[in-house]
Amino acid sequence: MYFLRRGWAELKNEVFVLPSRTAVLAWALALLVLPYVYGDPYVLRIVTLTCLFAMFAASWDLLAGYTGQVNFGHALFFGAGAYASALVSLKFGVTPWVTVWIGALVATGFGVVVGYLCLRLRGSYLSLATLAFPLIALGLLFAFPDFSGGELGVSGLRRLATTVTANYYVAVLAMLAVVFGLWLIADSKFGLVLHAIRDDEVAARASGINTPRYKLTVFAVSAFAAGLAGALFAHYIRVAGPSTLETALSFQVVIWGIFGGVATIYGPVAAVFILYPLTEWLGSFKAFGELRLLIFAVIVLLVLLFMPRGLSPWVRDRIETACPRCKQRNRAWRSACRLCGAALQSLRYRPR
Amino acid sequence: MMRSFLMAVALLAAATTAQGQGTVKFAILGPMAFVQGENHWAGAEMARDEINKAGGIAVGGRKMQVELIRADTNEVQSVPDATNATERVISRDKADFLIGGFRSEAVLAMQEIAMDSKKIFLGAGAADARLGENVEKNYDRYKYWFRVTPTKSPDLFRSLVAILGSIGDQMRQSLKKDQPKVAIVAEKTVWTEPIMKALQATLPKMKMEVVGTWQPSAVATDVTAELSAIERAGADIVFTLLSGPVGISLGRQMGERNMKAVAFGINVEGQKDEFWAATAGKGNFVSTLDTYSEVEMTPKTIPFVRAFKERYKKAPTYTAATYDAIMVLKAAIEQAGTTDADKLVPVLEKMEHVGTAATASWDKRHDLIWEVGKTAGIGVQWQDGKKVPFWPPQVKGMQPFKMPAR
Repeated sequence: MYFLRRGWAELKNEVFVLPSRTAVLAWALALLVLPYVYGDPYVLRIVTLTCLFAMFAASWDLLAGYTGQVNFGHALFFGAGAYASALVSLKFGVTPWVTVWIGALVATGFGVVVGYLCLRLRGSYLSLATLAFPLIALGLLFAFPDFSGGELGVSGLRRLATTVTANYYVAVLAMLAVVFGLWLIADSKFGLVLHAIRDDEVAARASGINTPRYKLTVFAVSAFAAGLAGALFAHYIRVAGPSTLETALSFQVVIWGIFGGVATIYGPVAAVFILYPLTEWLGSFKAFGELRLLIFAVIVLLVLLFMPRGLSPWVRDRIETACPRCKQRNRAWRSACRLCGAALQSLRYRPR
Repeated sequence: MMRSFLMAVALLAAATTAQGQGTVKFAILGPMAFVQGENHWAGAEMARDEINKAGGIAVGGRKMQVELIRADTNEVQSVPDATNATERVISRDKADFLIGGFRSEAVLAMQEIAMDSKKIFLGAGAADARLGENVEKNYDRYKYWFRVTPTKSPDLFRSLVAILGSIGDQMRQSLKKDQPKVAIVAEKTVWTEPIMKALQATLPKMKMEVVGTWQPSAVATDVTAELSAIERAGADIVFTLLSGPVGISLGRQMGERNMKAVAFGINVEGQKDEFWAATAGKGNFVSTLDTYSEVEMTPKTIPFVRAFKERYKKAPTYTAATYDAIMVLKAAIEQAGTTDADKLVPVLEKMEHVGTAATASWDKRHDLIWEVGKTAGIGVQWQDGKKVPFWPPQVKGMQPFKMPAR
């Protein structure tokens, strides 16, 4: 009884006080109950894939949004996780419950290597250099087709679970854990350092921060999350192919990140949950299904035109406001700050 | 008044339900924004209209209409999109049968979803052998997969070699050369690599000399450097493995140079009706492996090709064999008297179906059994603005293969 009351008090004081947190809780609960409310296998499939891509997008945001290491070749980590898990599972008969972690660790290794090689690069030079890595990986895969399956990749993989619902829960729980974990990292002192590196690396170093170590760590953490997403993806669709390393996937994650709002973690996740099902839904219309990519591009452009910081910061700024005195966030319709009591309506402060 | 209204509503509802039960649903899966998907759909439309016009499919003494479900897999750009489309037609649209697919990596993933749901999936586009190997490795799971077109990739190679052998014989006779010289021109892409390696090993056994291998880009607009090297090497045959626009460049520039060598192999651009105009009329003698032409491969080929051209104003490509896939299923359903997948599989395994593209029968991997004149495809050559079929020569309507004057 004590724990229930304490839990309710926490919810009331920490979650329900802000619309954004309430929305996140509602979204997580909706994901958890979806199979019981609407168990359509097609819908569950779309949401499963959405969860896996949301993990991937969040991992990109930690690297590009928080640290400013804008990676144009993030598919490398996704593909490395997919291929490593698939090959170990298939060639050694290891259960995918183990190999997905191996895939994530191999991707982490790739993250460290890429991070090390790109340590001295910044801005567009870094982005262009990272773009090359998945192409190199593709070249290597095609050079050793007997090992990698060549153009067709590795197929006939085992699923993590046998039923549609169980696979759905694997993806949802993994996504919630990874996204929450990344958000905790981003919200910690470590995350503050990442902000500092992004905003002014020289100043950060002058303050005594070992920036190369932080950059390498964030490359590794981001690659781990992307690799785990890739490994889960491969075992879900039962194929790990060159499409997991394609440039299109690398750019897709950049679009999700910018559309949702960088340096937020939840922004790219929201973007995936909007854009991926939307594109799929558009594809189901016979009349204009084949124009879905064009419609998708128009929607993205319009959102970026009117919401240059991305969708989720724009929405958040309209439903919440920050106190000008203590900087705590409040509901937009409150007249006084929930913590310090400072007036809000007349001095609405929107942090940029 | 109220009673009449309720009765009318009930009758309408009953009629709608009866109509819903009276169809067999075929999902056509293909990249609909691409020529392969267009042909998937066009072939299926022709089959649907023909069957429905004739009264439908007889299922256990009851006539059922054909209903098509168009599913854009977008597989050229996204494998997950292809899997989503497959799941949608199965669980949402309640398709009875799946037909189509093109990109092998995507079809492997689509195959898994179809097999999970125990749906018969007739492949009409992907050539990779692994799709059939799955049937042999795990029959109980993958037995619902059958390939209608094309033959698996090793058999495509057999067809190429068979046609090349026939061209080589003609050269030996006309040029009085024991060992014709072959130049291999393969675009620099992954799919050409295994074929190139196999060719280099096979051609010497066929008493042909490989004078070199050239690998232009798939989108090259100028291959004069390669062609002048080929001329200097004294090649008699230019063996092409080209799927991109470079096929047009090669055809045009061979014509401009009045080359004595003749091009044969895979030239996807050369299969299209627009090839002659694209080469500005210079693509004479370019030849390629193909599927459809106005030639009597089977008694159904010519009427189908003519009807297709009349309806869509262009010739069908190999993925239009969705027509055959639907007809195969119609025959199997009528024979078994059911649409139950488990009962149809043994019927399909024993069937020999005379289609428009091939006379099809299936091996233990549910791959087409390769046979010249039945499933091996045809050789076509551009002769004075017309795409002329020349191989296999025993088929009625084939015309002689021509070579440039020397």
